[in-house]
Amino acid sequence: MWSYLARRVLQGLLVLWLVSLLTFSLVHILPGDVIVMQLDQAAAPTPEVLARARQELGIDRPLFEQYRTWMGGVLQGDLGRSLTTRRPVMQELLKRVNLTCHLAVLSMAIALLIAVPIGILSAVRQDTATDYVGRFVAVLGLSLPDFWLATVAITFLAIWVGWIPPVGFAPIWVDPERNLSQLLIPAGIIGARLAAVSMRMTRSSLLEVLRQDYIRTARAKGRRERGVVLGHALKNALIPVITVLGQQFSVLLGGTVIVEVIFLQPGVGSLMLDAVQLRDYTVIQGAVLFFAVVIVAVNLLIDMSYAWLDPRIRFH
Amino acid sequence: MNRHRLWFLVPLFAGLSLSAAHAQGQKPAPTEGEGAFVYVAPSFIKELDTKFPAQPPVPPSPPRYGGVLQFPTPTIRAFDPTVGYRADFALVWDTLTEWEATWYYPEVQRTPVIRKTLVTSWEMKDPSTWIFKLRQGVKFHNRPPVNGREMVAEDVRYSYELLKDKAQYANRAALVKTIAVVDKYTLRFELRQPDPKFYLNIVDSLSPVVVPREAVEAPGGLAENPIGTGAFMLKEFVPGEGALLVKNPDYYLKDKDGRSLPYVDGVRLYFTKDASTETALFRTRQLDLMRVSTLDLLYALMKTVPDLGLYRVPSLGWGDYGLAFAIDKPPFNDVRVRQALSMAINRDVIAEVINRGDATLYGPFPWVMAGVTKRADYSYANLGPNYQYNPKRARELLAAAGVPNGFDLEIEWAEFQGWTYGEYAQLLARFFSDVGIRVKLKQLETSTWIAKGQGIQPFAQALAVASPIGAGPSFMDWVYLRYHSSMPKTMNREGISDPKLDELLAKWRQDSGDKRPAIQKAIWDHLREQVYRITTIVPPHYRVTQSYVHAGGNPYCWFPGYCNYEAKTAWLTEKAPARKLDKFAQ
Repeated sequence: MWSYLARRVLQGLLVLWLVSLLTFSLVHILPGDVIVMQLDQAAAPTPEVLARARQELGIDRPLFEQYRTWMGGVLQGDLGRSLTTRRPVMQELLKRVNLTCHLAVLSMAIALLIAVPIGILSAVRQDTATDYVGRFVAVLGLSLPDFWLATVAITFLAIWVGWIPPVGFAPIWVDPERNLSQLLIPAGIIGARLAAVSMRMTRSSLLEVLRQDYIRTARAKGRRERGVVLGHALKNALIPVITVLGQQFSVLLGGTVIVEVIFLQPGVGSLMLDAVQLRDYTVIQGAVLFFAVVIVAVNLLIDMSYAWLDPRIRFH
Repeated sequence: MNRHRLWFLVPLFAGLSLSAAHAQGQKPAPTEGEGAFVYVAPSFIKELDTKFPAQPPVPPSPPRYGGVLQFPTPTIRAFDPTVGYRADFALVWDTLTEWEATWYYPEVQRTPVIRKTLVTSWEMKDPSTWIFKLRQGVKFHNRPPVNGREMVAEDVRYSYELLKDKAQYANRAALVKTIAVVDKYTLRFELRQPDPKFYLNIVDSLSPVVVPREAVEAPGGLAENPIGTGAFMLKEFVPGEGALLVKNPDYYLKDKDGRSLPYVDGVRLYFTKDASTETALFRTRQLDLMRVSTLDLLYALMKTVPDLGLYRVPSLGWGDYGLAFAIDKPPFNDVRVRQALSMAINRDVIAEVINRGDATLYGPFPWVMAGVTKRADYSYANLGPNYQYNPKRARELLAAAGVPNGFDLEIEWAEFQGWTYGEYAQLLARFFSDVGIRVKLKQLETSTWIAKGQGIQPFAQALAVASPIGAGPSFMDWVYLRYHSSMPKTMNREGISDPKLDELLAKWRQDSGDKRPAIQKAIWDHLREQVYRITTIVPPHYRVTQSYVHAGGNPYCWFPGYCNYEAKTAWLTEKAPARKLDKFAQ
């Protein structure tokens, strides 16, 4: 167990280093730089002024030197300073992570609330009208893009109800009512898509488990069907669902950008979007590395959770 | 197994389809009022012309004090003029002067009015030496570490020195060689080159703003100590979300009746990135005024907010639809090819497709700078044959230039919020193919396109892009910097090098002012002939306001974010939603 864990941690560190290298290379391949991207259309500085501005930010130095300096800071827990705001990247990230985590958790909760019951119903009533409706809903959820759903939602809410989720993020522990009124609809839109994926996964996984010998044994012992499904089958059937959800959660941390932009919620997605548009290298690198850490950690946790869900699984 | 049960979906879909078809069948044929928009556009434009004249009504008097004005603006990453540039900064930090404008109206176009903000007078000792007298008693915001001390000449000198090397202010600050403090309220500007009209080049927000040294040097700099002399004080800035500004109670400017400015208690900026978000916020009265990018969007908005106020401002030249060439390469180095390409374009169709016909023709630079002041005169006749659709003549010119069978042309373009470059590029491709030119469209990532448009990166052959612009009605940065061969590509994007043009520009620069209109006209005529850049049309700006907002509608500074005077003079009636100066919740 411990050697497995150590091996996975080492693999994770290697992944993180490769991610840092790749991100650094890719962002520097992008044309333009932070100085140019911040200029007003009417501004027309001379090349000398541009050169001085680049020198001031240190982005004129050789790439290897820039990478070495940045990596040196990272190893000491310093992700550097934003090239646009001059604030510490970690500070900028943590501010935004708060909202994104709220959005991701709420989306995930909504997804689970929809997906698991419908997935179970769909599986235990396979090929009935209930199953078809469930599958139809899932296909619908997968087919409707977030950006379309969000645009339609905000437009029609404004026209029909005269209300849209209020702008400005309030953490749930500060103002629960405002928080929910802000995030429920964006989270519902993200959650609908997630639910579609998870529902299909729950259904197919449960169907497979329900055909296992130990389920037949449980039924033969006279357990009621509800007990068989919820007590024996569901726990094992949730393993692939949790894997998918874990991965989806990681994706959500940086992947809610469209919904954030449309509902004017300043999360990590919009921070990354701004950073890419403005070529704020340090923010892009810092944010990507931060998420790489989260994803590696989440995956490790998911792998570790298998043993809890299924005691037959052992790590070597 | 049980697959036959799938059939229950068939009647379901059939039922839904029939219902939809039935509903469609019940609808009467589209009428002008509700049908396909394309048929409505001409009458809608006519309605706008009569219902919303370009000069909006004068706001009633007296104004009502109070309220919080809310409007959207593109994301600001750092609210700090030493780090970046945004016109919105002028709400907090003043420039020496600002445009009072009414610039677009024929009777005043030749004499743009400058509002004296931090300076009260100026004097030209010689074309290279200018004396500026500062307004006395102007105080910085009453916040530590500056604590409301008086703004003096040394602050202006310090600010120009600080900002002259910042890319965002460089083209204006670079005109100045040195600034000397003569006394507490007097400054002497020594210029790099003689300029008899220098005072016109320091107006507006591209000129360095005035910042106090103590705030810049305090821990956190101006970002943590956003102190200026402006009408508003920054209360809160939340990156990605917005900014909250509160009224400066000590602001020095008064309105024409001597009342203190600004009228509103505060301004809230929302950093929006999406048109549907902005319209939803406007519909739900969370935004009081905003810009609308197209006539289609304006039409949709007017359907749901029928009592909105509209200020339809003819654009000076910002946001035109143009085409830049790599004129140092063949065949674009041949004027006949450039003229042929320009003649191949039907600008009426461009206007129709881009903005349903609500646009004006656009020449080498703003009409008014060539002395054309009436909008009725913005015509093909005044642009000349190179701007008129004439594919036959275009083919003849191509033949004369030695490319009778056309050539391969790559046009680079990109999506850009508020513009419809995709359709524009496709139209260009179509028009050029009609005269035998084989066009390949290459879509760029927006930031790359911006870099190419700014002259930072080269483009291969042609770039669908707006013309290089200036800030305000300054011939210096609309024309001189954009066409003089001594300018780098960041200013003269195509690297135009034309001795005759240089000579005209030099003459213009040295003239004391009397002959400038004639020289500008001569430059216009020369550029119309040379077609160094293709220009086509420019749509107007649309600013919509809620019915409870009275905003001046200053034609040059037509939007609060772009020009701070609008925010200073806008006011809200008692019907405005009650709002508090609450901080953003984060």
